[in-house]
Amino acid sequence: MASRTVAKDIITLRGSAAIVSEFFGYAANSILYNRGVYPEESFAKVKKYGLPMLLTQDEEWLEAGKLQRVVMVIMSKATKEVLERWNFSIETDSDVVEKGVSREKSDREIMREIQAIMRQIASSITYLPCLDEPCVFDVLAYTDTDVPVPFTWIESDPKLIANPQMVKLHSFDTKIHKVDTLVSYKNDEWDEQ
Amino acid sequence: MDLDKAHTLLTSKTPQFNTSSNFNQAYRQKLIENLSLDSQGRPFKIMVFRGSPKSSRKSIRFVDELRQEVAAIFEKDCKQTPYRCIPKGEKRVLDAPRLRNDYYSNIMSWGMNNMLAVALGHELYLWNSEDQAVHKLLQVRGGNDWPTSVTWSEDARTLAVGYMCSNLQLWDVESSKLIRSLQGHSGRIASTAWNGHILTSGSRDKSIINHDVRAANSLASCIKRHADEVCGLKWSTEGNRLASGGNENLLYIWEASKMSSSKFLHRLSDHCAAVKALAWCPYQNNVLASGGGLSDGCIKIWNTEKGICINNIETKAQICGLEWNRHHKEILSGHGYSIRENQNKLCLWRYPSMTKVGELGNHKSRIINLCQSPDGITVISAGADETLRFWDVFGPPTAGAGNSMVSDLQGLLSFRTSLLR
Repeated sequence: MASRTVAKDIITLRGSAAIVSEFFGYAANSILYNRGVYPEESFAKVKKYGLPMLLTQDEEWLEAGKLQRVVMVIMSKATKEVLERWNFSIETDSDVVEKGVSREKSDREIMREIQAIMRQIASSITYLPCLDEPCVFDVLAYTDTDVPVPFTWIESDPKLIANPQMVKLHSFDTKIHKVDTLVSYKNDEWDEQ
Repeated sequence: MDLDKAHTLLTSKTPQFNTSSNFNQAYRQKLIENLSLDSQGRPFKIMVFRGSPKSSRKSIRFVDELRQEVAAIFEKDCKQTPYRCIPKGEKRVLDAPRLRNDYYSNIMSWGMNNMLAVALGHELYLWNSEDQAVHKLLQVRGGNDWPTSVTWSEDARTLAVGYMCSNLQLWDVESSKLIRSLQGHSGRIASTAWNGHILTSGSRDKSIINHDVRAANSLASCIKRHADEVCGLKWSTEGNRLASGGNENLLYIWEASKMSSSKFLHRLSDHCAAVKALAWCPYQNNVLASGGGLSDGCIKIWNTEKGICINNIETKAQICGLEWNRHHKEILSGHGYSIRENQNKLCLWRYPSMTKVGELGNHKSRIINLCQSPDGITVISAGADETLRFWDVFGPPTAGAGNSMVSDLQGLLSFRTSLLR
């Protein structure tokens, strides 16, 4: 666990990175669960093995201020067509990264903002098209070009959706990292008529 | 109010001017270009997460394996008929040198005592499935004779061995001694089957002989009905009916009480090739499955009460063996030659729908025999590629995903290096 200073209102780079990567964990879990990408019983397995490794790397990049986006892509298992794209864009305060200063914001407020996003993810099933077929997911990271590709990652294409519908969700801000959430999805076929 | 529709109408849609692929390409290109610089005008690169740092020896990355596993489970949940995971690999492979590549022999039998008896060339070996110990029971001297049919008695105290030169022997395995030699045939013994103290043998001389092994004069009855070699012989589980398959493509059903009169119950001529594979259904009385040879390739399910064929599957491959699964309602077929599909494979079929559940098989050449373990979980296929492969395909009803996923190859055991006890 990253250390946070005793005075709750002070946020350090490390603390902020911890909050943001923790958020990614919750968000990823919530998306996979709510969108039914995996059946509930095997969910524990996905949670236990896949995500922690991913998040450790994210945290590292966040601390270095080199992570620009995290994208969770949901694809059809059969055709590998991208059906949904959950885009989390990150804006990092470069002053904090370069000079090591800290910022002030109450923990509680940050949590409130995160909760709002989580609720939005959960309620997204009301408008997102049904994922009728078996799906698989991928996690993409957009980083600065000087970041070496770690052993557990490979270079990738953006896995975009052609002519997507987009919905912007709430954002949250630790004053060091600002995270915007956007979900884009493939147009539901019968919409066109 | 249709909320979905309302939402769609309210949110702005990207108008689709053109659905030609050129447009999409150009659009995609534009999108990629625009995305190569982020909001702050910084260039970036994209990476996709692929695996655990600990995945060293295995080439499959852990996360991929995990995702495949989970996706497979999901697929299983999605399908209407429950999909059973069948093992992708053998549990064990045993080296079986000099195993005769002869469709008509039945050289393998797994007894209730957990001993597998298998004839390899001129020799007959016993393999203990509990401790994997190998023991050579007998060796035939002289080049012209070899075991062609091997069957354990129901209590596994006696092993019946039929030979090329028409001899039929009974062996006591505990003491490794020949108890008795039974005469009667004039041609090789292709098939044998036990029914309590009755040992039935089918031969190239076209006859079926029932021996009462307790009597001094063992010959109880001799049936001469087949027009060619009797290569398939199976008693029903209750012991009231005998099914015999011949090389003239006929399948006869006999009643135990009427054997001496040579009067058959049914004569079934639906197959167009030799009927070697026979198996009685363990959950339905008097239901029999039969499999045809190369020109036939059909699995036929029979109601032997009425003598009618209730189901037929074209596997398009030579069928050398059939085994019913006692734990799930399924039947497994072992195959040899084929011009089209299923060559050298084991196919699992759901019963009674006869839909294919899956197929197994790593044999490099045709499968000659099949047999199953006394606990009904493992099936062995004996192949012309001189291997015996063990498949844990018949798993118990509560098998979890772990039980039937990729099994490890447990190593090779060569019969050649066995020690005589």
